[in-house]
Amino acid sequence: MSRLREPYLNTRVSAMSERLIAPDEVSALCGLSLPELAQRFGLERLLEEPHDRRAKSRGVKQALINTLLDELRVLIRPMNAVEAGLVLAWGRKYALFNLKTLLRGKLYELDQAEIRANLYELPEHVRLPQQDLFQAEGVLELLRKLEQGPYSLIAKQGREVFEQKRDPFALEAALDQRYYTEMARRLQQVPESGQAELKQLLGAVLDRVGLLWLLRFRFSYGLSPSETFYQLVPSVGLLHRERLLSLVNLESLEAILAALPEPLKTALAGSQSLIEVQQRLGGQVTQESRRLLTKGHSGVARALAYLILREHGVLILFSLVQGQLLGLPRELVEIAVEAHPPDCPLPFQSAA
Amino acid sequence: MADHAEHTDPNRAPPILMSRTRPQLTAALKQQLLAAWALAHVLWAKAQPQLKAVAAQIGPLLRRASIALGGAWQQLRSAEAWREIRLRSLPMKHVRVLVITDDLPQASLTLAETESFHPDTRPPEEQLLSGLPGRDYREIYQQAHARLEKIAKVVPVDEEPDLGEVRVIEHDELRRINEELTERWAEASRFEEGLRRIDEQDRFVREQQASLENFSNLKIDLGALRNKTRFLDFYVGVVPRENVSRLQGAVTLADHLLFTYLERDQSTHVVIVGPRGEKESQLASVLSSASFQPLPIPAGLADTSPEHKYDELTAERNRLQAEREALNAEVEAWGQAHRDLLRSTRRSLMLAAPFVTLDPSIRSAGHLAVVCGWVPARAVEDLEARLGVSLALPFELESRDPRPAERPLVPTVPSANRLLAPFAMLVKQYGIPQYGEVDPTPLFAVTFLLMFGSMFGDIGQGAVIAGVAWALRAKLGRFYRFGVMAGLSSMVFGVLYGSIFGYEEILPALWMSPIHHPILMLKIALGYGVLFIAIACGLAIYNRIAVKDLKAAVFGHHGLINLVFYLALIWGAVGIATRSSFGTAPLLLVIGALMALAGYAWSHLQAPTGEKILVVFIETLETVIGYISNTLSFLRVAAFSLNHAALSLAVLTLAAMMGPAGHVITVILGNVFVLVLEGGIVMIQVMRLQYYEGFSRYFSGDGHEFSPLKLRRGPV
Repeated sequence: MSRLREPYLNTRVSAMSERLIAPDEVSALCGLSLPELAQRFGLERLLEEPHDRRAKSRGVKQALINTLLDELRVLIRPMNAVEAGLVLAWGRKYALFNLKTLLRGKLYELDQAEIRANLYELPEHVRLPQQDLFQAEGVLELLRKLEQGPYSLIAKQGREVFEQKRDPFALEAALDQRYYTEMARRLQQVPESGQAELKQLLGAVLDRVGLLWLLRFRFSYGLSPSETFYQLVPSVGLLHRERLLSLVNLESLEAILAALPEPLKTALAGSQSLIEVQQRLGGQVTQESRRLLTKGHSGVARALAYLILREHGVLILFSLVQGQLLGLPRELVEIAVEAHPPDCPLPFQSAA
Repeated sequence: MADHAEHTDPNRAPPILMSRTRPQLTAALKQQLLAAWALAHVLWAKAQPQLKAVAAQIGPLLRRASIALGGAWQQLRSAEAWREIRLRSLPMKHVRVLVITDDLPQASLTLAETESFHPDTRPPEEQLLSGLPGRDYREIYQQAHARLEKIAKVVPVDEEPDLGEVRVIEHDELRRINEELTERWAEASRFEEGLRRIDEQDRFVREQQASLENFSNLKIDLGALRNKTRFLDFYVGVVPRENVSRLQGAVTLADHLLFTYLERDQSTHVVIVGPRGEKESQLASVLSSASFQPLPIPAGLADTSPEHKYDELTAERNRLQAEREALNAEVEAWGQAHRDLLRSTRRSLMLAAPFVTLDPSIRSAGHLAVVCGWVPARAVEDLEARLGVSLALPFELESRDPRPAERPLVPTVPSANRLLAPFAMLVKQYGIPQYGEVDPTPLFAVTFLLMFGSMFGDIGQGAVIAGVAWALRAKLGRFYRFGVMAGLSSMVFGVLYGSIFGYEEILPALWMSPIHHPILMLKIALGYGVLFIAIACGLAIYNRIAVKDLKAAVFGHHGLINLVFYLALIWGAVGIATRSSFGTAPLLLVIGALMALAGYAWSHLQAPTGEKILVVFIETLETVIGYISNTLSFLRVAAFSLNHAALSLAVLTLAAMMGPAGHVITVILGNVFVLVLEGGIVMIQVMRLQYYEGFSRYFSGDGHEFSPLKLRRGPV
């Protein structure tokens, strides 16, 4: 990034970070009523419309995603092509959600209106050729259509796996795997000088994904170590290829947690279930993002950290609205938004 | 004066008039005329046969040229050529058609036939009209259309068959068409799948051939690897390149080893080897996930020659090729058998398309449906009459003028004039005029030709531009007229400058040569710039008045106050140039206008006083600097006309230093250089002046084009 664009992006990120929800604010937000939440976050128009609960919830989520992806578009503007490609690759997860919805629709022959109702309207820079995909008669035809465009690698991998296995689980796993591999590949293209902080951030993201998948594939789905390793994405952080090779061979949750490198080992020590591990790992990614946002120097890394935190905030807000729409008790909503951080010992909490 | 000159300066008189009386003069003149006539007669007698031969050759050419010119002139003179040249948008009406729901498909067809109805997709004001009667029809149409397009990729389907009788495609008929297409697509996709399978097999045989070359170089009996041994497990095969690294790790976990022995395109050839045992079973799933394709190791590799195996594989490829040809023939026969059906299906879908296109604009309540749109005012009557003829059931058509708030939604009908069409394309690159705005196309065309010609004035080079554009008219489409007109403009200025392929001595300049009068050229360019900017400001004022934005017309950017400031500034500048004084009146006008602008900016700023002072000061300064620099920007018109003459001069100077052949080659190459390089630069400069100095002042370009419902529309 040029010398002029770096300060510009950093200033932009700093200005935008005012919009983030602070960790200590979450608990107070849980106490707000729906009109108060709507007023606070400018959602009045959406919530006042005469729609049913599902349509309102959908509208709010759609609006929040649009806000996030619009901010992404603003942030990538001053970046060079490689950096913008990396951040854009992160944002393509929403297109991946739509792709999975379309694939499920084709697999289970769902009604078109139902599929359509579950698709997100995405901005042009991450959008799938949805109308074209809609007209596909089956999964293979849909993936072949998608092979002509920016999603070609994801689609090709998905098609090859589906042709071999005809298994929806294997298909979705292949799509997710290719999504994160693509991010790791794009990180390698960033010049060395700008890589360090991005590596820390994406390392935290990929460590989280890698460990969760490892535990899920090994102990929830009972896959062999070989098959589990094949589905994983080596991280650029702690859980690199060699470490994953040694971890997948272990036979219990406790053994894996004990064999983790520091600081993951301390952070996850004593976790009894996959849910608990998931909660603590989620906290780790947001803390790493907050650390980079406040102390980092790389504009791209800070922009990506901001987007990760913004997405986290957007999900909290959506959970709060959803909780209010469903009339859930406050305690349940607090658990959903992790208003009280899980029992996470140092150094993660202090790092924030 | 002539007599006076004759007496005061006898040397100016012709020698024949000197020292002779009037009768002598008449006699001498007669003699000379007779001699000249005799000489001309002799010459004519001698040259007559050759001239007749030449005339016989060029006669038809001249005749054809005169016919073409006559035709072109007739075209120009005809009302058709000048019709549709207008500065203002064509007046539009908002039309609301209320029909019985059953009549909707027929109403859509009629609206499409008139080609004058631009759908308005806004939700209706009436709350009751909330139904979407065409939604199901649209879903079926889209499925059918997508299937037909997919079939058209397998076999040719007539793109635009003759529509024949225009009739309504009912819901049931559309459903039947969709079902028919579902069956046809199932057949066509089997062909597609078959061709894909053959391609895949062919690729795999090629991989085997490549692999064979590797095996044949090894000095071991690979045939032994064909069967699993008691202790060892072997896999030889191809994996997509991006999967190799992960597969290597995965096989390691199953106590196997992976070796890569060949990489081709996106595939990697690997050998996986490991002990037989319980972990062997783990591999099967991983290999499947990694899209591993086992390569059969040829039997008896050690016994037979690799060439023989290679020939076997070549034979396999030939077999696949034969299979492909047979399948292609089958596809063709299938296409022939279904040609009429597919053509008829296409026709039906084209007839169904208007209703589908109109669907987002239709709202209904019970048996009533409403469709709204924009129609040119002059076409409303005809539209109503056509609906009256075609609809079986009663309907109601209401029309009204667009409301002020609707102005941004009203589409603008583009100029249909053929001469202006290429210029309209260039204007469109900037934007579409908003409804009510002045259409800049005619002004753009005139000023473009004026500037291009004056910057690139040369009879020869202009003729080349016009000739090339004419010769390439088939490829350039309607854009060729742009080249022809630019070339003709260049030729006209070439006549004025007396320049032909850079030579300025062959033809006398009808006006003057730019390079010999640089200061005059610069003055003219400046004057032109002032006129251009003043007209642009005038149009900006008009456009704002047209949209009833009076405040912006007076105080806005390039509004009335700006124009007063600019003209006063020019008045003062002319005063300095002629009388060495700016003048009191222009000075007062300049100060007054600037103060008015500053006051307006001040009243509209919401900021602390310090910031307001800074912003208003900078904005006012920017107005002053902007107008001066924009005017000076037009000096490039003169600069390029001088540049053109100077470049030509340089080419001719170089040519003069060569021998006869070198002279000709240098002149030709030099002219090509000037045409391509300078022609391109002049084009860019003119576009820059048009877009930046012109359009940015008065043309918002944020309108949208009139796109009426038509029968022969592309895919929806």
